[in-house]
Amino acid sequence: MVEARTVLSCHDLTVGYGKRLVLDRVSLNFAAATWHAVVGPNGCGKSTLLRALAGLHHASAGSISLCDRPLSAWPRRARARRLAWLAQHAGVTDLTGAEVVRLGRLAHGGWLAGRQTDDDAAIRRAMMATGSWDWAERRLSSVSGGERQRIYLARALAVEAPVLLLDEPTTHLDPPHQEDVVRLLREQAHGCEVCVVSAIHDLSLALAADRLIVVGRRALIGHGTVREALAGGWLSAAFETPIDVVDYKGTHLWRPALDP
Amino acid sequence: MSAPRDAANGMAVWLICCLVLTLLLTAGSLVIGTSSIETSWHWLVVPDEQSAVVLWRIRLPRTVGAWCVGALLGLCGATAQGLFRNPLAEPYLLGTASGAAFGVALSLVAVDSTIGELAWAGRLGLTGAACLGAVAATTLTIALSRGVLQTTSLLLAGIVVASVLGAATSLILLTKPEIFRAMQTFLLGSTAFLGWSSVALLATVLGICLVPALVWSRGLDALTLGEDTARSLGLSLPTLRLALLGMMSLGTATTVGQVGVVMFVGLMAPHVVRETLSVNHRQLLIAAPLCGGALLQAADLICRWIIRPAELPVGAVTACVGGTYLVLLLWRRNRDA
Amino acid sequence: MRAAHVAAMLMVLSVVAAPAAHAAAFVLRDDAQRQVSFARNPQRIITLLPSLTETVCALDACDRLVATDRYSNFPAQAEALPKAGGLDEVAVELIVSLRPDLVLLSRSQRITERLSDLGIQSFVLNSETYADIARSIETVGRILGNPARADVLERSIAAAVVEIGAEAVARRHGPRPAVYFEVDRAPYAAGPASFIGELLARLGTRNIVTADLGAFPKLNPEYVVRHPPDVIFVAAGEAEQLAQRPGWGELRAVKERRFCSFPSPVTDTIVRPGPRVAQGMQALAGCLARVAP
Repeated sequence: MVEARTVLSCHDLTVGYGKRLVLDRVSLNFAAATWHAVVGPNGCGKSTLLRALAGLHHASAGSISLCDRPLSAWPRRARARRLAWLAQHAGVTDLTGAEVVRLGRLAHGGWLAGRQTDDDAAIRRAMMATGSWDWAERRLSSVSGGERQRIYLARALAVEAPVLLLDEPTTHLDPPHQEDVVRLLREQAHGCEVCVVSAIHDLSLALAADRLIVVGRRALIGHGTVREALAGGWLSAAFETPIDVVDYKGTHLWRPALDP
Repeated sequence: MSAPRDAANGMAVWLICCLVLTLLLTAGSLVIGTSSIETSWHWLVVPDEQSAVVLWRIRLPRTVGAWCVGALLGLCGATAQGLFRNPLAEPYLLGTASGAAFGVALSLVAVDSTIGELAWAGRLGLTGAACLGAVAATTLTIALSRGVLQTTSLLLAGIVVASVLGAATSLILLTKPEIFRAMQTFLLGSTAFLGWSSVALLATVLGICLVPALVWSRGLDALTLGEDTARSLGLSLPTLRLALLGMMSLGTATTVGQVGVVMFVGLMAPHVVRETLSVNHRQLLIAAPLCGGALLQAADLICRWIIRPAELPVGAVTACVGGTYLVLLLWRRNRDA
Repeated sequence: MRAAHVAAMLMVLSVVAAPAAHAAAFVLRDDAQRQVSFARNPQRIITLLPSLTETVCALDACDRLVATDRYSNFPAQAEALPKAGGLDEVAVELIVSLRPDLVLLSRSQRITERLSDLGIQSFVLNSETYADIARSIETVGRILGNPARADVLERSIAAAVVEIGAEAVARRHGPRPAVYFEVDRAPYAAGPASFIGELLARLGTRNIVTADLGAFPKLNPEYVVRHPPDVIFVAAGEAEQLAQRPGWGELRAVKERRFCSFPSPVTDTIVRPGPRVAQGMQALAGCLARVAP
């Protein structure tokens, strides 16, 4: 694999809530054109890591750098153009699908500026890619959870940023659409050279990523390719229980241990 | 896409309806008063001197002023609901009403008082004292919630400030009960003395307040997706909050100074818009003032007409109408559920 | 025989003496429709309304007062007395500690039941209209055991009022002046049904507020422009602001500054239906004479 350049990295990152430490001196590099999946048990800090990397959660110690500049040195709008974020829980809104996706273009145009021509094209691209174009004019309160999730995803895509941070992008989606999202993330990474970092609950989906970042209850267990993770037994260490991964027709799948 | 044209059409129809309603109410206000002017066009063209004074110096500025006040309240109410993401938010939740009442109480006491420090309160007059009190209360609320970072603490601080100032006002009333009737009049609201100078002030403030509202309307839209998402889109939440809170304080304090406390208009106007139209914030922040203006014009008309030539306090009328509307809303929700 | 005569004499004497023993006992009906019985004329009195305080003092019984309400400020002797509350709140403990024989109060005060529970006698007297003045004076006179003085006072007040009224009417040439008496800023006006309205009517003026509007209606300010008064009675501070009210700057009374304002002690005589009513009327008449067109 060609060594892609690092667009996002953190060094000795320490993040906590008040006195409770969640991440302790974590150092990671995220390269462009790569899909990184962050896995780990509940409460290990996947969301916290992503939020800290996005600049949404203040780090107690350590540094984060985006495109070779410290995160804090970026002006707000410039940073927003380079780093797109998808939240795990979205708020309730009565806007139409197109209006929501248009919000993704905020950092590009500003608030008073009217519709820019490339905005329309970007919105269309993002909604077609997520298969949510049919709901462009529907109010979000009148579509199902899965359709809503795809619109939110389209909003993140519409930013057209070189770094895409996604917290549980497959929430509420049925299996065919989960497939679509995985294909989309791969396409973004390999086709558009975006650095994709996602926290995904579903192990089998996560195992389709290029690189795994395995976070345990108390510390970072390891980061590397899926093969390295499996060879090192990181998943079992992180979840503190044997995790059985099988190779099926070239795809890694998690096999739940259901035998008595 | 035909749907956006429908949405735009819906908005256009709504705007036209509002304008027509406003014009009708204005015309109605010119006709109704202590005595109906004879319905002939003669009075418009060649009124006698007294009718001219009544029409152009009393009734017209009064109804236009009422519209401006209603528009300001509607705008501030819609902003509050968007900023706090709470459909029950209304313009007075930062303690504005209690601050104004406290200022008015001080001013009324200062008029007869021999205490030198209070003399300035007397000189300000009721309008100035109400305005100043409202601004002071809002500042206190924002300071108490330690900056504009947390929405919940702002709401709580507003409640605390309102309670404390309410208690302080009651104490003042206890020491000098004679001002009770004047306080009551103020607290129930009155459009009785709106002249052209008041209209000029209100219109200016309305214009000033519309600017931050429209500039940050997309920010409010982004906020509906969640604070994290809004921040990730490059929005500066402290700036947005400060600008909109400042605008709300200015708008509400001005209305309180001119007409006292008028309940429910700020709460109802955005609700009425949302019940009849689906809108984003930019459209809401234009439609809500129009709706609020028409609402208060109608209330002013009713309060002048029902027991003419005496009149009801306009705040009492808006409370009745607003209360009824909320009851209907609740009943409809229960029925649908 | 002799014993029978003595017994008969004793019986006659006892019959004659009996009423004399109960001569001071009387029953009066108060304005709350209660029958209040008095064993004797009360010697320790508390009044809870300024006009009643002034009435008691005008009947030379000021020494019998042990406490008044907060607003009783005339005469000076009454002002120095302990204060037992205002219009709505009454210091019951203070009243009880002073052991009064009688508490005089007005109908709107709800304290009568509480007082009777505590064994304190109270008497309700309305003081709202001009007619109430004479009635109050007479009743208080009977309570105090000073009916003759009450009679004299009543007659002198009535005579003074008639004289002031006649003088005011006679002094004027031309039609009756239209007056507007503003009680409060909202604007609340004094209608003909109020006590102030009655005084103004006796001075031969015409109130721009009509009787059907009630005693203190809250007017639409347009009403005053529609029915322009010749003289405006208003608080001193407010007089300067009248020109700024929309449309009022054009009123003749405002342009020519035909205002009547009174300092607070004078206003007391105007608004209290009590023995000083003639002075109040004199103040009104004096200003009218100066200011009316």
